[in-house]
Amino acid sequence: MRIATSTLYAQQTQAIDDQTALYASLGQQLSSGKRLTQPSDDPAQIAQDLTLHTTIDAATQQSTNVQNAVSELTTTDSALSSLTSVLQSARQLAIQGSSDTLTSQQRTALGNQIDQLLQQAIAVGNTAYGGRYVFAGSAKTVNPPVQQQGNPVSAVQFLGNEQTQGQLVYNGQSFALSTTFGAAFNYQSSDGSPDVFQTLITLRNTLVNGTAVDQSAAAINQAGAVVYGPQGSPASPAPTTIGTPNAFAVTPVADTTGNYSITVNGSVNGVQGVSTITMPAGTAIDDGTATSLVGRINAVSATTGVTASFNAKTQKVVLTGQGSFYVSDAPSPGAANTGNLTKVLNLAPQADFVQNVSTQLGDVDHALNGVLNARSVVGARIQALGAIQSQLQTDLTDNKKSESGIEDVDVASAVTQLSQTQTALQAAYSTTTKLESKTLFDYLT
Amino acid sequence: MSFFGLNLIGGAVDAFQQAANTTSDNIANFNTPGASRQVVNLTEAPPVTGSPGYATWQGPGTKGDGVIVQSITRIHQDSYDGLFRGASSAQSYFDVQQQQLSAIQSSFGEPSNGINAAFTNLQTAISQLASDPTGTSQRQSVITSAQAFVTALNRVGTAVQTQQATVIQQASTVVAQANALIDKIAALNGQIRASRAVGDNPNTYLDQRDQDVDALSKLLSTQTSVQSNGSALVTVGGRALVNDTQAYHLANPVVGTDASGNATLVIGMQGDPTPSNPAPVQLGSGELAGYVDVYNKNLTPYARKLDAFANAAASEIDRVTTASYDASGNPGIALLQPNVGTQAIGATNITVGITDPSQIPAALASTAAGSLTTGINSANNVVNTATAVQNNATFAHPGATVGPTTGTLTVTVDGVAQTFAYDFSGAGNAASVDTFVTSFNNAQLGVSASFDSVAQKMVFTRDPNNTGPAHRAAQGANPTTPSFTIADSNAPAGGSQGTPSSSLLEIFGATAISGVQQNGTNAVGAGDNGGANALLKLFSKNVGAPALQTTSPTAIAGAGSVTVAPPAGNPTAFAQLDVGGQLTIGAGTPAQENVVVTAVNRTTGTITFTAANAHAANFAIATTATTTLGAYYGGLVGQLGLDVQTATTGSTAQTTLAANIDKVRQGIDGINLDEETQNLIKYQNSYQAAARTMNVLETLLTTALGLIPGG
Repeated sequence: MRIATSTLYAQQTQAIDDQTALYASLGQQLSSGKRLTQPSDDPAQIAQDLTLHTTIDAATQQSTNVQNAVSELTTTDSALSSLTSVLQSARQLAIQGSSDTLTSQQRTALGNQIDQLLQQAIAVGNTAYGGRYVFAGSAKTVNPPVQQQGNPVSAVQFLGNEQTQGQLVYNGQSFALSTTFGAAFNYQSSDGSPDVFQTLITLRNTLVNGTAVDQSAAAINQAGAVVYGPQGSPASPAPTTIGTPNAFAVTPVADTTGNYSITVNGSVNGVQGVSTITMPAGTAIDDGTATSLVGRINAVSATTGVTASFNAKTQKVVLTGQGSFYVSDAPSPGAANTGNLTKVLNLAPQADFVQNVSTQLGDVDHALNGVLNARSVVGARIQALGAIQSQLQTDLTDNKKSESGIEDVDVASAVTQLSQTQTALQAAYSTTTKLESKTLFDYLT
Repeated sequence: MSFFGLNLIGGAVDAFQQAANTTSDNIANFNTPGASRQVVNLTEAPPVTGSPGYATWQGPGTKGDGVIVQSITRIHQDSYDGLFRGASSAQSYFDVQQQQLSAIQSSFGEPSNGINAAFTNLQTAISQLASDPTGTSQRQSVITSAQAFVTALNRVGTAVQTQQATVIQQASTVVAQANALIDKIAALNGQIRASRAVGDNPNTYLDQRDQDVDALSKLLSTQTSVQSNGSALVTVGGRALVNDTQAYHLANPVVGTDASGNATLVIGMQGDPTPSNPAPVQLGSGELAGYVDVYNKNLTPYARKLDAFANAAASEIDRVTTASYDASGNPGIALLQPNVGTQAIGATNITVGITDPSQIPAALASTAAGSLTTGINSANNVVNTATAVQNNATFAHPGATVGPTTGTLTVTVDGVAQTFAYDFSGAGNAASVDTFVTSFNNAQLGVSASFDSVAQKMVFTRDPNNTGPAHRAAQGANPTTPSFTIADSNAPAGGSQGTPSSSLLEIFGATAISGVQQNGTNAVGAGDNGGANALLKLFSKNVGAPALQTTSPTAIAGAGSVTVAPPAGNPTAFAQLDVGGQLTIGAGTPAQENVVVTAVNRTTGTITFTAANAHAANFAIATTATTTLGAYYGGLVGQLGLDVQTATTGSTAQTTLAANIDKVRQGIDGINLDEETQNLIKYQNSYQAAARTMNVLETLLTTALGLIPGG
């Protein structure tokens, strides 16, 4: 075959150019460690690569966020642990106080200790982590969120809100990063039970003042039913009467005359007074008039010193007396037996200071349960976050592996290719030199 | 004895001299581009016609009369020229594409230093903000990273525009080169024709013309045919560039418009009646086509996609920020704003609108913390969210058994009042708390419902991500609002617990929800990260690009292809749409459907698509949410990478192809030094032999002359 001399040169130049370009490209890959340094290196994978960059950065940041959240939740858990101690101490003091043998000075001393615990509970409510109050919800408060009112403290005001802080969204699921004030302190509970502060305030007042209270030990309504109070406007369900079927947890049973009677034995300014109240089955628990159960008890409070009320939220009847008083079922006139109204209303037969403190133990326990629940929620959240954290770490590792698979150079193969290219380049150099030195002119004399 | 022998050998000496000269010329030009080798055609000299009295062996043709140079011809095969020029055109085309696209690829800076990194950093900053919305440094970090994102967009957007300008400039230079070559070819045609007319072989001119056509073929796809008079007719895409000595010049490139009114780079002929938008010359391949295609098929789509990305990102991010509240409880402002307010946001028309960290919106209006909604349970009961609403005593207000059980909630947000028809009876869409939450959220009204089982409260939260196409279309140019209002068509019953109600809002713990915002009544507070989380969600949510939310003034009667005009107040509504763009039109079932744009007309601003359903006038038109913002940009970068790779592969393949064809062509007409050396030796020896023969003849003659006495 005939070859033009200039073709020979062009061919060699091209070969050297090609090999040099490959050599340079391999050199760059090896020195940077990256196979994919620009989109055209792998157009099929570049979009995936960009997504991976974003995913990895997002997961890294989320991991940091989760770490912070775990620290904050740990602080919350410590706070709730302190609150548990406060309530347990209050419980001890209440048990100590529920004794007839105590003098009023001793009771006042116990009451003062309760007041100390109340202060402590307020301090717990104002726990902060990194400048944020952990129970304040999402409200940004400059002042501590729990503010005491009155001296001695008669109430507390909450400046925060019930939003959980820092909702973490992971895989489309929201994870709360804090507990709420309501959950931890039973504040403004949806079942109407008193919050931690109110419980402690009442307990302190009871110990200091010696008030007697007899309230339903449990809600009197049947689960899923409601004992309705006074009728609102427009017509709400008629007020529940003793005879309303399926309304009460304990079904009312009348005496032989078909009526219900209770005897209230109390005192007014130390003068004892007894009154027996008889009601037909159609008597409402509380309809806002004097003919209801509540109205009838209040009608004789000048004699007995006992006032009654019905809490529609908690579904409890509360009797309050100046001193000790007694409530018992009695036979109606002409009846051979008694009804079971005190059972239906879940009232204790005797209401005195001791009984009152005992009843309040129930509130303390309820609050304590709330705190323990909140703690278990916090614990579960810490655990969930731990799971997310490890999931994030796994994702990160996987994604980094994928990214490396796309971006990073296979060193072994690149080095092999580099040395091949080097050999080829050297061959091209030496071939060119040899070819260029060979011409017939060399032999022309 | 005569002097004829001397004459004969003298001719031979002369011929060999010519041959050696031609060889010298070949050797001299072995490195000259376009030079073809020339060969000397030696032939026996025509016999001298003798007189009739001569002997037969002395007759014409019997005895040779020496050698003469018949012609000096140029070895050249035109058929390979066409092949080579085709390959060379394609090579130049891909070379230009490869150079231009590699340059723009570098400007993008992906995968490490481009828009994607900035976009990712913005996401990270927002994630930090979500983690602690009260922190000033987190808020500042959002501003800083948004600025970096905008800067990256500006930088790349400007780079594409600069590249477009560069392409036009370089194409102009190429046009000038082409015109110069066209002139030269026309001039050479004249010289060749003249030379041929007198019977000459204009070898050098032919070489030059071939060389010039080769050079022209690098610039555009030429077709050449040599006419009988020796002139070459050079055409491109059927239009003559050179006809005999007449040269037709190309016009400088201009940005004109195509049939649909899209801006396109056009190269026409000089003398076109509309120089501002000339009839385009079909350039085929070559450098010029490379530049024109890079401009029209690469840079313009990149710029449009980049603008669409910036536009969609700004639209979606701003939808969330303006639907949120800042640290001071004020309605949020747009994070990304245009530099020039009268124009749509694009890659080069975008800036950060927030400079004060406290203005970064991170909170969403919600009824969660305030008193706008109350517990829905009665007494100490706990509402089981799966049980029926109607006549359920565990609700403070059970659903009525007499009176209406259906009604509508009117949700007003973004200046748009949308209705949600409810039915809490039997198997209705609000029969239980759970079914209500699901069906309400599916309505995509810009507000989401959820149930807080601990507080027993129904929570309505502003949810800018949950706005459907119908809402977007109805909103149009209305500003997004952070506050919302929900009203019920049924009046609340009021009364104490246990009062049955026909009002779903009352059943769910509210009488009317008016103007939910961040205030004392329902203070979600600056510690709320709802807005930040909504922003974060945006990054993984499918969006439509470019952002479009409008309505059509004309109705669609039924299935078929329709052309839709933009609304009267917004003639440029469809300006950012391209053929192939996906739209969601109409609202509700089954009217809502996805369509694909089949044609756009930039002059009238209309778009054409094929609809399957009938739609009443003012039906909604929004871009279909098909991809996440990150994936949309990733697609653009992937396309760019693919284009560069194709150009690089094409360039390599065509270079090899052109080199191979040239090798064959050079094999025929190229100059080989060894061959020429051999020829030189051959002619040298021939010359020496002839000279020696002359010497011998001269000796013979001298001998003959010596016989003459007295000499």
